[in-house]
Amino acid sequence: MNLVQQLINGMVLGHAYALIAIGWTVLLGVARLVNFGHGQIYMLAAFVTWWAVAGLGLPYPAAILVAMLAGVLIGLIMQAAMLRLTFAQDLVSIMIVTLGFGHMMRGIAGLVFGGHPQVLETPLSWIDFEIAGAWVTAQDLAIILVAILFFALLHFVLERGALGRTARMVAEDPKLAQLAGIDVRRVYFAVFAFEGAAVALAASLVAPRTPILTSIGFEEVIVTFVVVVLGGIGSVAGSYVAGLGLGIFTALFGGFVSPAYATTAAFGVLIVVLVLRPSGLALGAGRGAR
Amino acid sequence: MSSALRMAAFAAAGVIVFLLPGWVGGVYGAFAVIAIMATAAYGLDIVVSDLGEVSLAHTVFFAAGAYATGLLATRLGAGSWVTLGAALAAGTIIALALGLVTLKLREFVFSLVTYAATVVAAAVAHNWDLLGGSDGVSGIPTLDLSIGSLQLAATNDAGLWPYAFILLLITLYAVRQFRRSRLGAMAMMVHLNPRLATMSGIDVRKVRLGVFVLSSTFSAAAGWLYAYQRAYIGPDLFETYFLVLMLTAVVLVGRRRLLAPLIGTALIVGQERFLSFGGEVNAIILGGALVVALAILPGGFDALLRRLVARPAVQAPAPETRPVPQP
Repeated sequence: MNLVQQLINGMVLGHAYALIAIGWTVLLGVARLVNFGHGQIYMLAAFVTWWAVAGLGLPYPAAILVAMLAGVLIGLIMQAAMLRLTFAQDLVSIMIVTLGFGHMMRGIAGLVFGGHPQVLETPLSWIDFEIAGAWVTAQDLAIILVAILFFALLHFVLERGALGRTARMVAEDPKLAQLAGIDVRRVYFAVFAFEGAAVALAASLVAPRTPILTSIGFEEVIVTFVVVVLGGIGSVAGSYVAGLGLGIFTALFGGFVSPAYATTAAFGVLIVVLVLRPSGLALGAGRGAR
Repeated sequence: MSSALRMAAFAAAGVIVFLLPGWVGGVYGAFAVIAIMATAAYGLDIVVSDLGEVSLAHTVFFAAGAYATGLLATRLGAGSWVTLGAALAAGTIIALALGLVTLKLREFVFSLVTYAATVVAAAVAHNWDLLGGSDGVSGIPTLDLSIGSLQLAATNDAGLWPYAFILLLITLYAVRQFRRSRLGAMAMMVHLNPRLATMSGIDVRKVRLGVFVLSSTFSAAAGWLYAYQRAYIGPDLFETYFLVLMLTAVVLVGRRRLLAPLIGTALIVGQERFLSFGGEVNAIILGGALVVALAILPGGFDALLRRLVARPAVQAPAPETRPVPQP
């Protein structure tokens, strides 16, 4: 019975992880960009969702939209500041700059929302279901449903549509794409806006499961690395599978071995993969293995 | 002649800096922290500026030095010389292990793995009771480096400042000597042209490992003194604050300038101590400084200053011609 509960927890967690990571997957795979402020956008979006519900009195679905708008705005501001580095494909500098943005966002969140932990009670978290002796809330089911829909849509758009082709061309060779008449700047801005919106969507759905603090986001960014790298950089389907696998691994490891070291164990796996197959990541200009 | 003059100027500046905290009202604590954090930043600086890689694991070396010091001093009553040795050993061993693991990694993947190492180390520090868990270790005794009858102890920040100052001077000297050494020259060659370095018979991996391990000793030594300065260590040492502080200190003023990380640290810690707007605004300023230094002012203040200085030089003839017809 305990195993069933842990497996169901793992399923929910896995979909949450996949949803949290999808912005990065697209960012890295489609535009060869990184964002170490990812976790802090998650944190800020969680606060915005809480504020829209508790402060503005908006219904929960409207609050999700407000949070996503905030995410888009943050993404656009970050990309505007980094445009020169983006064109230079200076990944290391982008990495440090986004770390700086993350630090700023923590300060902003503390300033605007205060240091107190907040709890967001959504209408869905009140509804419980019992499945084979294990309990899930409607909020958990919503996470799974939204994650599946989001991934299906993204898979369809990116891997079938013209939009994905354009973005991939920009990632492969920005200069050539520009010669071909593609507005590369717009693609970069769009991808970063998508990253912000995606992580905000994840935050507004996943963050109600735990208290919302200015210090959250660290765990989420770790999870994101693991999902993106294990899933194969830029692969939408791979991210989904990796997220799900990581969620089940974390739930089982946490339930039966040690909850404190669950993410650490996952990260240990990541280090081993990175060290053994650094070239498999296919990063850096001109290497384009994908 | 000019080198003797420079030495004299440097010595005079050193004396002034040493006496400064006493003159401006006994702000020894802030100065000691600046010296300590600058020392930690120099470790990162030689990896960033000379080796050309961005390590995000130098907070681990810093914390390793602090943890070794705190644990040995409180649990075993070890003296300050013993803890210094242990701090350097802890930093070196971790750097050696991490350096061997990341030997083949470059640029972004190197940074990602070093960041991962920091995250894992933070989780271990939070959860391992032997290391004090999330409460950390408090009640670290004061610094005591006495040898025989020679009394070398620091009971407060004013007493600690001379040791922090000496640590900083040793660091500055060591970094300067490193840049003039064979290893330093090889590191630059590996950085600027790895293929040429390989063809010249340089063992690229050995150089990378050597510089990485050497750099960790600075950060670990800084952690050693920081544990005595704060009398407490805890998992907060792994927080992004220290990482962002070191990175900003390294990139803010300029690359491969001996005094740049010191000036950067002094600007950041000085703002936090003397011009503080509260923790949140300080975080925004620090994060913002890092963003500005890399995204908007590549090359840091140094490059900006040169651009500013270069501009009037071009227009210089204009003001000179004007005074002539006037009298």
